Amino acid sequence: MKRLLFALLLAAIVFYTVFPFYWAIVSSLKSGSALFIVEAWPADPTLANYAAVFRGQPFGRSILNSLLVASGVVGVSLALAVTASYALGRVAFRGRSLLLLSILSVSMFPQVAVLSGLFELVRALGLYNSLWGLGLTYMIFTLPFTVWVLTTFMRELPRELEEAAIVDGATPWVIVTRIFLPLLGPALAATGLLAFITAWNEFLFALTFTLTDDRRTVPVAIALMSGASAFELPWGQVMAASVVVTVPLIALVLVFQRRIVSGLTAGAVKG
Amino acid sequence: MAAVELRGVRKAFGRTAVIHGIDLEIRDNEFMVFVGPSGCGKSTLLRLIAGLEDADGGDILIGGAEVNDVPPAGRGIAMVFQSYALYPHMSVYENMAFGLTLARTARHTVEDRVRAAARTLRIEDLLHRKPRELSGGQRQRVAIGRAIVREPRVFLFDEPLSNLDAALRVAMRIEIAELRRQIGATMVYVTHDQVEAMTLADRIAVLNAGRLEQVGTPMDLYHHPANTFVAGFLGSPRMNLLAATVTDVNGAAVTAALPGGGRVRIPVIADGVSAGDGVTLGVRPQHTVPAGDADAVLPGTVFVVERLGAETFCHVRLADGQAVVTQAAGDVRVAAGDPLAVGIAADTAHLFTGDGRALPRHRRHPLAEPPAPVTPAAAAPPPSR
Amino acid sequence: MAHGSALARERRRAAALFLAPMLAVLALVAVWPLARTVYFSFTDATLGSLDSYVIVGVENYRWLAEDPDWWRAVRNTVVFTVVSVTLETMLGLVIALALNARLPGRGLLRAAVLIPWAIPTVVSAQMWGWMFHDLYGVVNEALLAAGLIAAPKAWTADPDLSMTAVVLVDVWKATPFMTLLILAALQMLPRDLYEAARVDGIHPVRVFFRVTLPLIRPALMVAVIFRTLDALRVFDLMYVLTGNIRETMSMSVYARRQLIDFQDIGYGSAAATALFLVVALITVTTITLGRVRPGGKGGSG
Repeated sequence: MKRLLFALLLAAIVFYTVFPFYWAIVSSLKSGSALFIVEAWPADPTLANYAAVFRGQPFGRSILNSLLVASGVVGVSLALAVTASYALGRVAFRGRSLLLLSILSVSMFPQVAVLSGLFELVRALGLYNSLWGLGLTYMIFTLPFTVWVLTTFMRELPRELEEAAIVDGATPWVIVTRIFLPLLGPALAATGLLAFITAWNEFLFALTFTLTDDRRTVPVAIALMSGASAFELPWGQVMAASVVVTVPLIALVLVFQRRIVSGLTAGAVKG
Repeated sequence: MAAVELRGVRKAFGRTAVIHGIDLEIRDNEFMVFVGPSGCGKSTLLRLIAGLEDADGGDILIGGAEVNDVPPAGRGIAMVFQSYALYPHMSVYENMAFGLTLARTARHTVEDRVRAAARTLRIEDLLHRKPRELSGGQRQRVAIGRAIVREPRVFLFDEPLSNLDAALRVAMRIEIAELRRQIGATMVYVTHDQVEAMTLADRIAVLNAGRLEQVGTPMDLYHHPANTFVAGFLGSPRMNLLAATVTDVNGAAVTAALPGGGRVRIPVIADGVSAGDGVTLGVRPQHTVPAGDADAVLPGTVFVVERLGAETFCHVRLADGQAVVTQAAGDVRVAAGDPLAVGIAADTAHLFTGDGRALPRHRRHPLAEPPAPVTPAAAAPPPSR
Repeated sequence: MAHGSALARERRRAAALFLAPMLAVLALVAVWPLARTVYFSFTDATLGSLDSYVIVGVENYRWLAEDPDWWRAVRNTVVFTVVSVTLETMLGLVIALALNARLPGRGLLRAAVLIPWAIPTVVSAQMWGWMFHDLYGVVNEALLAAGLIAAPKAWTADPDLSMTAVVLVDVWKATPFMTLLILAALQMLPRDLYEAARVDGIHPVRVFFRVTLPLIRPALMVAVIFRTLDALRVFDLMYVLTGNIRETMSMSVYARRQLIDFQDIGYGSAAATALFLVVALITVTTITLGRVRPGGKGGSG
């Protein structure tokens, strides 16, 4: 009885979390009036919506934009964060925890609070309606986040490993690049992936700092999708677009789940 | 090779002083062991020599030169860590070569030195492996090999055997002793294990709460502990320390009244102690003798018998409640509840003043003299094993 | 560490060099724009004339204080935050406890639970927007079939229901985050603690409240703070799901509307600054009351 209840609870949880996505898939495979019939699986599945999404607007371009901005931002953030997190995680200096807290608080900024200042900055740099401008503004949340997470990873690396390198004559730069960086591979992958997802999903800046269809990122494209009639959204296409951008993300998350546990350092310390 | 000298070295973490002004000279080619209970500062002292911690006061000299401001890599030291601290992403060869590569040593020199060290440590077959593919003992050897290739003036070992299981620890201990004979360098070795300290050291420095309690050869410390701390710390089971009262003092000996009414005349220099003072009598369980051969006896009742096979430890409760441990033969017939008189031999008993200081003996133990200087063993052939 | 030695000096110098580029970027994209926003809030700048404006003092803040729509936005944001975060915490606890049990296929279950978290907010808003559709939505269909409602509801447009709809979507989307953090904390608890409690015959519910909850409290507090700060700045969800309607407008939606749609940089900046102050105040209060140090353990999320 207890086990049955528990199984029911689990089933309810899975249903709750998975159903909306499932429903989006089901809806995306229907076209015309079939969309308005509630059924567990479309009687006549069709990929027409998927074709329409890419024909109706530069959706492929939006995906490319999102990819470019997100990966560029992640790359730069990680590069800046690796050395910074070493300084924050492993070097004792006055004001370190205050600095760390300030950096964390930046990632908690309400984005709207910097919107007008960023708008001015982006326009002054001539980056309005450009992917470069978007990338620059995204640093406000990806950079503090990567610094913060990498700092905790940095702290977990064994102290004796660093001391062995110091005795071997390694400078801080050598320690970071030749000892810690190779060991942080899994951590970098995990952190980068999380930052990538955040950048990929960002909406407010992308909505505000881009203007034309060909500069839009995926979330903006999906939010602003409109049909032939101004009053009714092309729901089938919206669902198709949603599925297209979500499937890779879910795949990434599944891979990432395994990545997080890494036994690389297990060989270095203790038995 | 070089001597290491500490002059008034002090260290505090925040407001907690962990090293209170230590003066110590470690001689060239000497194997010095720092031993003490956890938290006594022995590892900190080693890290101060390495340069991984900065002294708050005092000077550290290596080979006669002050190194206070020299970074670890410039001190001519090599360190073997408790966790081995091998670089997990590098092969054994790369691990051993890393320091030399950073110092821009010519490639063939690096290769020669790594191969020579690997030969000494019998890890030549492991050079291409990653640390995670090695057993604990092999990792330990690689860590030592990494130290050897640096050809340091001073080797520093920070509890290198404490991550190994008991059997391997004994084997590695013997290997370190053997290695030491082959490379003959100054070595400083930190451990909390008194067996490692006794067996490996030329001299032992006993630390307690950031202070040096005593420095001397193993047998010196065993037979002539300077105070009750050293007396209790070295030797297993620990030395019996009993409250006693001085009854008579003369130039040749101090006589003390024992619990249970007996008296014993111990050949030590009075050194300020006079009749009526409270003192501590120290007797190692191994130094108790049959009542018939004894200079004095402590009558009591056995309350626990621990049989280890080769020997037996009898825990005896004296009339005044103090407990005494005595070592007897493995097959001795004794049981809890039996009355037992523990016999004391005056020439192996110790007397300590009320504040724990040992009264010096008139005659020193023959093995407790400084060891002959060690000859660097370039001549000694490698073991045939 | 002492400050004199060559090693400590070299490390501090390297640390300064290592931090400089990161801090420069943050100064450019965070500190400077924030300062400019605060500055603009005392001017009458508009989007079209960002470089010709007049300092108007606290005029914008006076208007803000008198605008009922702003106060409505403040109320909406606070209600949304309190209700969603509470529900997410409770639901997250339940799911985390369920997933913490040893059962076959736990990895797969955990992956399933993670799905909503990976989905962009905009996408989840659209997905639920479709499910909440007044005519063809599956939610209405299901509730009608179950006899829970008599007629279809306009979930996203009905003033009485729109906030409920917004909260429901947020709970769906953000509970996985809670679940993950709580689950991580649960899995760090020593197993023998529970074995000891079992041996002592303590009721599981009691064990939960007396042992589990106090032990995961630090991690739970960190998760709650992160979620609270996130909820206070909510924008995408309302913007996409319910648009600009008054009943669900959050402070962020209100501020952006003034800034971009009405092009009133001065007034919008005042609203944005006010939002920033509210968030800062709540952060400081929660951290003080919750006695949580995000710099300590458990803040690795």
